[in-house]
Amino acid sequence: MDRLIDLLPFSYTDSVVFTGAVILGVAAGVLGAFAVLRQRSLVGDALSHATLPGVCVAFIATGAKDASTLAVGAAAAGFVGAALILAIERTGRIRPDAAIGVVLTSFFSLGIVLLTFLANFNNANQAGLDTYLFGQAAGLLESDLVAMGALCAASLLVVAAAFRPLKTALFDLSFAGSVGLPVRLLELTMTALLVIAIVIGVRTVGAILMVAMLVVPTVTARQLTSRLSLLLVIAGLVGAAVGSIGALISNSASLPTGPTIVLVGFSFALAAILFAPGRGVLWRSGQLIRDRRRAVNEGVLIDLETAMHSGAPPTPEELATVSGRPPAQVRRGLRDLDRAGALKTEGGRIHLTESGAGMVHALLHQRSLWSAWLEYGWTLDLPDAREPDPRDLESSLGDELTNALLQRARKGGWTAS
Amino acid sequence: MDGFVSDDLAIILTAALLATACGLLGPFLVLKRQVLLSDAVAHAVLPGIVLVFLLFGSRAPLPVIVGAGVFAVICVLGVELIRNTGLVHADAAIGLVFPVLFALGVIGVSEFAEGVHLDLDSTIYGEIAFTPFRTWDVLGIEMARSLPLLGVVTLVNLLLVVVFWKELKVTTFDPSFARVNGISPILVSRLILIAVAVTAVTAFESVGAILVVTMIIVPAATSYLLTSRLLPMLLASVAVGWIAAVGGYASAVALDASIGGAMGLVAALCFLVALLFAPRYGVVTRAAVRMRRRSALRDGRLETNP
Repeated sequence: MDRLIDLLPFSYTDSVVFTGAVILGVAAGVLGAFAVLRQRSLVGDALSHATLPGVCVAFIATGAKDASTLAVGAAAAGFVGAALILAIERTGRIRPDAAIGVVLTSFFSLGIVLLTFLANFNNANQAGLDTYLFGQAAGLLESDLVAMGALCAASLLVVAAAFRPLKTALFDLSFAGSVGLPVRLLELTMTALLVIAIVIGVRTVGAILMVAMLVVPTVTARQLTSRLSLLLVIAGLVGAAVGSIGALISNSASLPTGPTIVLVGFSFALAAILFAPGRGVLWRSGQLIRDRRRAVNEGVLIDLETAMHSGAPPTPEELATVSGRPPAQVRRGLRDLDRAGALKTEGGRIHLTESGAGMVHALLHQRSLWSAWLEYGWTLDLPDAREPDPRDLESSLGDELTNALLQRARKGGWTAS
Repeated sequence: MDGFVSDDLAIILTAALLATACGLLGPFLVLKRQVLLSDAVAHAVLPGIVLVFLLFGSRAPLPVIVGAGVFAVICVLGVELIRNTGLVHADAAIGLVFPVLFALGVIGVSEFAEGVHLDLDSTIYGEIAFTPFRTWDVLGIEMARSLPLLGVVTLVNLLLVVVFWKELKVTTFDPSFARVNGISPILVSRLILIAVAVTAVTAFESVGAILVVTMIIVPAATSYLLTSRLLPMLLASVAVGWIAAVGGYASAVALDASIGGAMGLVAALCFLVALLFAPRYGVVTRAAVRMRRRSALRDGRLETNP
């Protein structure tokens, strides 16, 4: 650890904070996934508040102020809190959100009462409270880093070793039970992982903001992949990136570390929600716009073909009148088609080029194939249970089936081509 | 303080007013499963307070309440916006939005308002013991200013519940029926959350965010264990809040501990008692009923026990 800290190009304190933020990011990212994916993110919020009385009790009991003693107390209180949430839910009347809320506020009240006791009896500085609530990265010591790193590594090992059963329990608890997995033990493990992540992180970012550190990496990673193994890796990386970037920014702009890390994390999550390929909000709306435009262009092309069959090549205005489309739509469609090389204009009248004619025929073929599929598709013996891709029916059905389909359609009477 | 009320009474009255204001709202949140949204909103108003302080340099109640209300709405809308993308579950959306707003508030305090009359821990865990020292002149009578402030908020909440009783009831128990009848469940639930934010921010300086959240969640959850009718639930929730206020103050004085924390603990104790011994839903009660039925079955007296 010594050498690692020397390697970083910062002052000693900053290097410690940086390393701590990275460890925290990785731990919260990977371990938090097991709470977030079960839709129990806010249990993390409750448990990070619940660690406060544990820290107080540990301090009262041992008088020690070193991080590892307090962390043991925090972890114990976290476990008790998690167990109470489950127990309250199991009684049936109280629903999970209320159970989480009750445990959160009760434990925190207990923590505040214990803190005033501390202040009265031991004259200990009460400053402990706001460092606990809002985190204090600067208070990290090198020995804390070793402990944090060891805890993080150990829990990552547990995740790696129990990956398959954890995955099964994560996605389908009752299935996991029915195939003989120790469900209770697995739930306990997931809770333990969450508590460990909180214990690692809570001193740096604080009790209130800790939940963001648990949620951000998984939300970000979830937009990028649907595989659990990959998700855990990405979440760990995102956590590390968020932690390190946040630590750097807070360092150079002298902002409080915890809130800065959280803001950086939120921008990561927001970016993923907006831009994630194939899934993000902007990506999907861009796709929608492109699809709509393509559909309009195809429609204009077919209208043009129809108009040319019924008379002289039309002008854009005539085409708009005949097809009943808004003129602006027709104009834009024609411009796109022109750019694609499908049209040529002679004296204001539109003609199809050779490639344009080819496009129309391909399109008409595709459409007749689609109507044949809708009407007669059920009569085909498909080689497997998968539905063919509606956007490219021909190649996903294969030549043989396509021919069979078209034949049936022709025999059935009506066909377009 | 030589005022209208003694210090002890001022503290208890403040807590009791808070308990009433919160107890009126809590049951709706418990019934709508939005308990944790109240926690989120109570935290998310911090940047509103800071912003008002930066813009106007004041902590006058009215602008602060408006600022906090704005951020409460931002928080709720933000959560809804993220959830409506269909990419993130509701719980994770809450866990994303309120820490960001809170982090903005913390940064605002530490950058611009440090050392000024706005310190963080008193906002979060408050100090109800100081309420008698911040006084106001109301109609020539000097009293702790938390009393008129919380009094007004309590009155507003009461009015809200009385005026919108029908709307609250129908949107809570049958949102789709409400929508068919032209009452928007979303609008009503937002109204409640804004009321939560206003209550929270008014109570901040006297009792702190945590006690507000406690007073909203725990008495309501307790009363939910005691009854399944709405009006009794509201009354029970207010009553539990009062018990927590009085009992908490007494035990805090006896033990020389934090008053807010002690009130929270007494409320938690009430919840525990209800969880175990509530007439219909208590764990022990149900176990006793089960045992009685079992022995009745064994003795063949089952038909006498409907």
